[in-house]
Amino acid sequence: MRLTGTPSWLTLKRPGAAQHEVRREQPNAPARPQRVWAIGGGKGGIGKTFLSTNIATVAARTGRRVVLVDADLGGANVHTCLGVRTQARLDLADFFQDRVVDLEKAAIDTPVPGLRLVVGALSSAGTAQTSREQRDALMSALRRMNADVVILDLASGMDRSTLDFFLEADEHCVVTTPEPTSIENAYGFMRAAFFRRLGRLMHDSPVRDLIRESMDQRNDRGIRTPADLLREIERHDSSEGARFRKVIAGFTSRLFLNQVRNSEEIKMGFSIRSVYKKFFGIDLDYTGYVNYDDYVWRSVKERRPLVLAYPQSDGALYIRRIVKKMLEG
Amino acid sequence: MRPIMDQTHYDVLELSESGTLQDVERAYRIARATYQPGSSATYSIYTDEDNTEILRRIEEAYMVLSDARLRREYDAKLRRDGQRSGQRTESAIQTFAGASDFAGIPVEQVDFAGAEQEVRPLQQALPPSEPEPLPPRMPALDLVLDDTQAPEDGVFDGPVLRRLRMSHGVEIEEISAITKVNELYLQFIEENRYHDLPAPVYIRGFLREYAKCLNLDPKVVQETYMERYRKRLGEG
Repeated sequence: MRLTGTPSWLTLKRPGAAQHEVRREQPNAPARPQRVWAIGGGKGGIGKTFLSTNIATVAARTGRRVVLVDADLGGANVHTCLGVRTQARLDLADFFQDRVVDLEKAAIDTPVPGLRLVVGALSSAGTAQTSREQRDALMSALRRMNADVVILDLASGMDRSTLDFFLEADEHCVVTTPEPTSIENAYGFMRAAFFRRLGRLMHDSPVRDLIRESMDQRNDRGIRTPADLLREIERHDSSEGARFRKVIAGFTSRLFLNQVRNSEEIKMGFSIRSVYKKFFGIDLDYTGYVNYDDYVWRSVKERRPLVLAYPQSDGALYIRRIVKKMLEG
Repeated sequence: MRPIMDQTHYDVLELSESGTLQDVERAYRIARATYQPGSSATYSIYTDEDNTEILRRIEEAYMVLSDARLRREYDAKLRRDGQRSGQRTESAIQTFAGASDFAGIPVEQVDFAGAEQEVRPLQQALPPSEPEPLPPRMPALDLVLDDTQAPEDGVFDGPVLRRLRMSHGVEIEEISAITKVNELYLQFIEENRYHDLPAPVYIRGFLREYAKCLNLDPKVVQETYMERYRKRLGEG
């Protein structure tokens, strides 16, 4: 354990530090392969946007080039959390409607040096649903962007757009709070993502009908869990069973537990991890938690990221821990 | 991925075969809390019957893996059945034998994932004729980022200690039970209520015990805390 000091790359400057000061922290940040992090979860109001904004801010403060994408097609508001006004800006609706092809043109500077924002689809009410082609085009465009890290702030719920953005990312991050409703929706979200991934990777499988049938929890075969499904698949076709195992093994996610109030609630993350493993067979990395903190709503009211507005708060510390773990892979 | 009925005791507790007794205790505590009736973690996924069955398997696994003789017999059975590699770490055996190592160490600090890296053949892992030193403490829980546990300014004041305690999932009552320090004093320490604390010689003792519970360097904790204590009282 390091007992003194903090890694220089984690040191936050005071709010308002000029861009050149931040760049001086790491004047020659090495080129890194771009990574896409998707931050989702089933329920609304659990802090996805708050975490996305703050995680992006911390990542940018390390000298990385970060693009934050407001992928909440029905209720975009990342710009407000960053204090960015959106009038006359290009946004995701412009991309989906082919008014802009190069997303670089839609990425605007934010008050955080090194962090750019692609504003959500505010200019058109008709973009809450997207086609598969539009989603693929967006992901391709994001991967071409001049950035080290691209962070997707996903919508609540589990529509196809949200699930596909989640699955196409390199890091699948699920946010929940310790409340039962939030945990339940997080499971629902992961279940939907699990079956969507399965459906996509095994669409040509001879057992695809079995998979489709198992998605109905009241199916006649008594398939309730992925383990039940595996047993059924292996009964039909052992080679497809091996393929199924491979699909599951390649699906790992991260868990962020938000608004924890005590150590009992912190431990809830381990319980959720256990259920994911036992029920879905999915390895979940309990990456970190953020405490319930009055400074959070203060920062939201001030339209500034917590890590800049109140860098010494517990919440800011916990967010920096999460980012450190994410960047270290 | 196997149904719970087909899982080994190690699978049930989500435990590496090289896990120490500390690991078994830690895994058991988490598992029992997770699948207890009314648990928020499971109620929307498992029925009460499922939970009861999982808990039964958890208790069974714990009973076997927490008993040195039963665990040896079980490991031998797994080897015969071809369900394990016949490998186990020397440290696991030693800590198993030296169960006193568990006392006073918050089990949540233990991350048994890394233990797999030190797997050795069973022949080498049999209990040595001469007692050897206990293995080094396991790395911190993977949730806790080791090097960012340290406060950013290097000072272990009350709020820093509280955050560290919470990150280990340890209640103040547990620290009190282990250290025999009154809960109230531990609370005063965490709240930096310097005027309510007893004489410095006692505070230093409390801090030493507190630090040991969280696997921190007692000397650094004592020095930085007391430095701030002196400074603040001097200012007052």
